[in-house]
Amino acid sequence: MSVQTREAPPRKRRPAAAPRAAGPQPGEGRRADKATLPYLLLLPALALTAVFLGYPLVTNGMLSFQNLNMTQLIQHVTEWNGFANYTDTLSNEEFWRVTLRSVIFTAVNVVVIIVVGTLIGLLLARLGPRMRLLLSVALVLAWAMPIIAATTVYQWLFAQRFGVVNWVLAELGFESMADYNWTGTQLSTFFVISLLLVWTSVPFVAINLYAATTTIAKELYEAAALDGAGAWQSFKCVTLPFLKPFLLVATFLEIIWIFKAFPHVFAINEGGPNRLTETLPVYAFVEGVGGQHYGTGAAISVLTILILLALMAYYLRIVLRQEDADETENDGEMA
Amino acid sequence: MLVVNVAACGSDDDKKDGPESFKGQTLTLWAMDGSTPEQWTKDVKAAFEKKTGAKLKLEVQQWNGIQQKITTALSESDPPDVIEVGNTQTPAYAATGGLADLSDLKKGLGKDWTPSLNKSAVYDGKQYAAPWFAVNRTVIYNKKIWAEAGIKGIPKTRQEFFDALEKIEKKTDAEPIYMPGQNWYFLDGLIIGQDADLVKKKGGKWVSNLADPKVGKAMEIYKKYASYSKAPKNKDEATPQQAEVFAKGRTGAFIGLSWEAATAIEANKKLEKDIGYFTIPGETADKPEGVFLGGSNLAVAAGSEKQELAKEFLKIALSDKFEGAMAKESGVIPNKTALQSNLKGNPAAEAAAPAVENGGLTPLIPEWGAVENPPNPIKTYMTSVLNGKSHDTAAKAVEDEMNKRLAQKQ
Repeated sequence: MSVQTREAPPRKRRPAAAPRAAGPQPGEGRRADKATLPYLLLLPALALTAVFLGYPLVTNGMLSFQNLNMTQLIQHVTEWNGFANYTDTLSNEEFWRVTLRSVIFTAVNVVVIIVVGTLIGLLLARLGPRMRLLLSVALVLAWAMPIIAATTVYQWLFAQRFGVVNWVLAELGFESMADYNWTGTQLSTFFVISLLLVWTSVPFVAINLYAATTTIAKELYEAAALDGAGAWQSFKCVTLPFLKPFLLVATFLEIIWIFKAFPHVFAINEGGPNRLTETLPVYAFVEGVGGQHYGTGAAISVLTILILLALMAYYLRIVLRQEDADETENDGEMA
Repeated sequence: MLVVNVAACGSDDDKKDGPESFKGQTLTLWAMDGSTPEQWTKDVKAAFEKKTGAKLKLEVQQWNGIQQKITTALSESDPPDVIEVGNTQTPAYAATGGLADLSDLKKGLGKDWTPSLNKSAVYDGKQYAAPWFAVNRTVIYNKKIWAEAGIKGIPKTRQEFFDALEKIEKKTDAEPIYMPGQNWYFLDGLIIGQDADLVKKKGGKWVSNLADPKVGKAMEIYKKYASYSKAPKNKDEATPQQAEVFAKGRTGAFIGLSWEAATAIEANKKLEKDIGYFTIPGETADKPEGVFLGGSNLAVAAGSEKQELAKEFLKIALSDKFEGAMAKESGVIPNKTALQSNLKGNPAAEAAAPAVENGGLTPLIPEWGAVENPPNPIKTYMTSVLNGKSHDTAAKAVEDEMNKRLAQKQ
């Protein structure tokens, strides 16, 4: 599993903005040092990435071209079988069903996360300092919760016999919910998983969005108000244009995050009932590790990455174009 | 990683049998959580250490992810020496070449192993494990409800059992039996009872035999049982836990394992004095119904360098003395019929034992495991028969899926 980085990619900084050393002119030797220093500083991070991401990725890629099951693993034999794992997977109806399910699952969750996150972000901007602090703390705590701990809490909340959720619903008069089995059907299981994902993802979007609103100059709202803009219009014409790049980056990251979410989906019900809540990463795990067909599992995981890339291609272009546009805009302002 | 080659080359030349030769060695045993009762473990350990001079290290394994863990362990250069392997999974491991051949043990120690229990330990004519213990289902019933219906005595044949259920239905407001639509291991027992096979060989490959009329006959019996139940037709016995339904006290009986009776008692203490057990009756009084004999075997890792010591351990742990002690302490079915006398005083185990001789398992081929992965096509078949489809139609509808799973590469 890749390391999850939740930071937004650093905004491009124009070299001109870097502080220039005002000291004495550096000599020839020091210039050479200066040239190698950044690379030296990058080295530890690159080495770690190579060991913990690069190596497994390459190994996984190699496994995907092998017939590797219990026997081959125990006997230590390598059976190359070309593209067989890929052709088998791609011609498997189940794989495409899971793919479609993953795409819908990602789309629904990302939309909910972005909408709720934006609303809470805007709420943060409007709250007084004390309530804002309270809400921020709540958000950060939800975000800082370790995944498996959060999943366990949700399992308890939605437990069939002693879960708080069923108890509250029954107390509120929904008697039929007293013994409701949340992991009994596909939709209800997805509901619990989505709730958990939204809850853990909203803070990231909300805090980012709030940060973005602080960069909007108050004068712009005054000017808009003078021009007779209402709340909706000033949001549409002033706030939204400022938030757009943030929203794009947040959506971009959330798509990756939801599409590859494994522990949440797996821990809640292991892809059940009847494998109906398996998304692509879970499917790769169940087929590969669960069924001990490691080569097939590797091929599915490679295909998962390719599908994610394909989904992102369009989006990646928008983000890159947006950044370019920002750049020229900023350049224009500076000039 | 793949370059390291493990060959099981024990240097037997400079080893002599006898206590002295094993001094200083440690034998590692992997057993599943719940398999090794306390007193038995203590006594076996003492006897083993006394006889061989070696130490025994028991490492208790959790069920979660155990198959992958055993695979990995068997691939290592220093695997655990003796491993508990589920009996239905033994053929798959035997086929990988990861288990040592124990054929010589069978001749001595295993002369009287119950054939139905030993079957799973044999693959391709060779003995790859030793049967350790098994558990099987019985009828667990509520004496109070049976008394209410005026039933006297315990049914000796299937027809008598159905008559009793009929009486409960007519004379009480209780559900005669809890039988959800997908209690697949009970159906497997009925299939064994009909002497039917779930797979057959066709052109050198294993294919589904679900459409066999004998399987249809087993399913007919199942359907008759299910007709006395209000349980959902598309759920198995674990959703909801049938023991918890039974614990409410308004269910005449269910087909389950002894631990399920314990679950029911835990949920409803008052039920304890009302719970009774009897062997699932068969067609005739002299032969109980077929049952699924889930259980465990002990195997020796082919990569272990302590082959002789491992066999010494098996000779002690599976001796009549300790095998009997285990049956007594845990209430599990021992690997020899003669040792079943140790189950006296344990009503659940006493009811289970008579069915063992005619018990069986799922098809003992490495390819079978994939068939049971959810969604199990046989469960789908069961639900459609219970919903009114004919045996033929329902079987035909899932056979493609079964064949696809049976054809998975090994």
